[in-house]
Amino acid sequence: MIQETKAIAQTLTDILGPAAVRDWENIEVSQQKHISETVSSGTTSTCIVYPNTQSELAQVIACAYQQRWRVLPCGSSSKLSWGGVAKGVDVVISTSRLNRVIEHAVGDLTITVEAGAKLSDIQAILAASGQFIALDPSYPQTATIGGIVATADAGSLRQRYGGVRDMLLGISFVRADGQIAKAGGRVVKNVAGYDLMKLFTGSFGTLGMISQATFRVYPLPEASQTVVLIGIGDAIALATKTLLASALTPTAVDLRSTAVVTNLGLGKGMGLITRFQNITESIKQQSTRLLEVGQTLGLQCSSYTGNDEAELWQKLAEQIWASGQEPEIICKIGMLPTAAVATLTLLDNISHQQGIGLIHAGSGLGLLRFNPENALNCVTKMRSHCQSHSGFLTVLEAPISFKQQLDVWGYSGNALDLMRQIKQQFDPENILSPHRFVAGI
Amino acid sequence: MIIQEKQQINWQPIIKQFEDVVGKNGVVQRREELLTYECDGLTSYRQRPAVVVLPRTTEQVAEAVKICDRNQIPWVARGAGTGLSGGALPVENCVLIVTALMKKILEIDLENQRVVVQPGVINNWVTQAVSGAGFYYAPDPSSQIVCSIGGNVAENSGGVHCLKYGVTTNHVLGLKLVLPDGSIVDVGSSVPEMPGYDITGLFVGSEGTLGIATEITLRILKTAESICVLLADFTNIEAAGASVSDIIGSGIIPAGMEIMDNLSINAVEDVVATGCYPRDAAAILLVEVDGLEVEVAANKKRIAEICTKNGARSITTANDLETRLKLWKGRKAAFAAAGHMSPDYYVQDGVIPRTQLSFVLQEIENLSQKYGYRIANVFHAGDGNLHPLILYDNSVPGALEKVEELGGDILKLCVKVGGSLSGEHGIGADKKCYMPEMFTEIDLETMQWVRQVFNPKGLANPGKIFPTPRTCGEAANAQSAKQFESVERF
Repeated sequence: MIQETKAIAQTLTDILGPAAVRDWENIEVSQQKHISETVSSGTTSTCIVYPNTQSELAQVIACAYQQRWRVLPCGSSSKLSWGGVAKGVDVVISTSRLNRVIEHAVGDLTITVEAGAKLSDIQAILAASGQFIALDPSYPQTATIGGIVATADAGSLRQRYGGVRDMLLGISFVRADGQIAKAGGRVVKNVAGYDLMKLFTGSFGTLGMISQATFRVYPLPEASQTVVLIGIGDAIALATKTLLASALTPTAVDLRSTAVVTNLGLGKGMGLITRFQNITESIKQQSTRLLEVGQTLGLQCSSYTGNDEAELWQKLAEQIWASGQEPEIICKIGMLPTAAVATLTLLDNISHQQGIGLIHAGSGLGLLRFNPENALNCVTKMRSHCQSHSGFLTVLEAPISFKQQLDVWGYSGNALDLMRQIKQQFDPENILSPHRFVAGI
Repeated sequence: MIIQEKQQINWQPIIKQFEDVVGKNGVVQRREELLTYECDGLTSYRQRPAVVVLPRTTEQVAEAVKICDRNQIPWVARGAGTGLSGGALPVENCVLIVTALMKKILEIDLENQRVVVQPGVINNWVTQAVSGAGFYYAPDPSSQIVCSIGGNVAENSGGVHCLKYGVTTNHVLGLKLVLPDGSIVDVGSSVPEMPGYDITGLFVGSEGTLGIATEITLRILKTAESICVLLADFTNIEAAGASVSDIIGSGIIPAGMEIMDNLSINAVEDVVATGCYPRDAAAILLVEVDGLEVEVAANKKRIAEICTKNGARSITTANDLETRLKLWKGRKAAFAAAGHMSPDYYVQDGVIPRTQLSFVLQEIENLSQKYGYRIANVFHAGDGNLHPLILYDNSVPGALEKVEELGGDILKLCVKVGGSLSGEHGIGADKKCYMPEMFTEIDLETMQWVRQVFNPKGLANPGKIFPTPRTCGEAANAQSAKQFESVERF
């Protein structure tokens, strides 16, 4: 096996030069860890290759296709371990050197970037023009554009702006056979050809390797304010219902489990955390109206602006994503929005108020975090609950041994054959992200 | 792709099978009754289907599709027939599956802001069904009082309000599909981002080439507290375009922003006589802003200042529903009005980066003079979606061919400046030959992979979206529209 890896590394070095290839011993420790958490076996014999351009990426994949090497596409590898456990990976291809801005059309509110560009770098460039990509994904400092698209990873801002699929206007990718293809375009409205952007969003690198993406961008809001309401589940449910049925236009409406509220010292009970971002006159009035709702329902009410607000959101994100001493179980969930409070109540009950939970109240999507103790039981119960409310539970992060005990994805529909056929058509030799996706795709 | 051509089909036993599924009333086969189904909103292309089938349920659609599959007969799905790219244009010896009788709203869940409908439900009915509770369905194509949700899904329709709220694909959560082999699958859900590939997103806008959606789960939105429409008129169209750029540049995302040029203004004033649009203006700009009252008031003021700064002669604003609808009425009637200005018109649907507006309008004017046809311009200025209406007389031999060539030049121009062949009408039969302007062979081959998965026998809506040597090599199969003047266009 090690012999083979040496041969692979040598072949890639012949194509791209020595600076583009690293063998396992020379990979950074953090990246070794991410790869080890992703692949079931043989990791120590993997090499990693860093193409500099889209055409170099195409050359590498064409070579892998000819040689039938199995490829693990990655960006900065922050979410590499999400989803199913990859099998028998021969080579890791990183987009991290494909990090250029191709075009920022300021007046057209679009930006086209290479897949390995870090979201945080792109946001800094956009901010200079008073714009931003309206995504607040996990690991915002390290996440790359390609990784965000491949995992469809959006955060709280989806309340106003939608998910990754709603912002992705165009895409270029390298197919499994090494050919470069594209779909969509660089304009905000476009129906020419099939919408492969949607197909690739959330496809976990199983259909092709994303090389460029065009995003819709938005003007940075003038002002921002966050209202926090805390109390018992029934009152929080009522406040959420009132808010969503009102004419208020929040950019984020998040329900948080009791453990989150406790950990941040915000109070006692479940939390409804609502962000308003708009012109100053509007956010003031919207916050006032929501605070009134909270007071009427007897909830503990507070509001945050400026640095306090930024710090609050930072801490809320850390509750889910901060790496602890022990590996934790992190799941993505979805359910009908009306089931959100009941879901967090169930989480509180089965985790003895230790479970970290977040549900975006408008969409019914959310995240759960458990410590490994008794996690299998918790995951099974939560999944069955979500499915009974038209939803799902997918395990994102967990030790491989945990993932091997259950179906990571939790797909319960009847379109599996269709999905397998799509995979078969796009990657007939099954060389891309093998076994990471739904039903072992 | 296998399409059997010029085969001899014995239709009677096949029609009997359709009748067994949908009843005698659900099958149309008399020549004169089939006339209605010869074309969609793109009336310059016509082809009579062999038979029309009108199912009422998913199971009936599936059975009808299976009959086609067993007998190797091509079929085309049709909703209300208002599409403008010939997406529902029949092919020779095909079965047309029409969803017009599938018009039930199956479920309304206000609290979860979801509605489930059959494909024949008219766009406007969705909003009507939920407006009492303060909700609406956002995508609003100009034909919204007659076009169906199924057709909207097939074409990924937009509308004048998609600048802020997005197009059809942003509002469809789940679909029940009948695939071209007659199998039934459910994709998406009432919850977004279900595990697996986003087949819902792939299907929306696939123009009937991947199957038929028989149940559609839509997202509805809460109606804004306050809505205001501003109408500004300008003595040159560039100033209207500059105002659009400045409004966007100031950080405001209006719900919609539309420009009409002088020719379109006069056309709609002739027909619907709103009395709102000054006939001597070079262009009008319509802007709708929504949100909290305080926000609308502030944005209204800022937009008015921007328009004035760019030389607007006058600015009218309306907050009440009646006046707002009146201001919109002319814009929504623009296509119909073009039909009164000239015996025929040909509408294009190109998209450009909005910053290229002035340049592209000048080029369109040059093309208009070069070809000798008047062009009325109506466009969704906020997202750069142009609808040039080329006015012509189809009774003049060769006119349509010239007009199509002119339309093609406009599309090539849109692609050249970094835009797209279609913003919301679809590629259909109309623009497939221009696809290579925008996409490489590899791009198109990759898209065909998708078609290969869903539609391996090529029976579902053959000859649409993708160029074929047979259809793009020779002159378009266009016939005179003159004899069918009574057919309405939208």
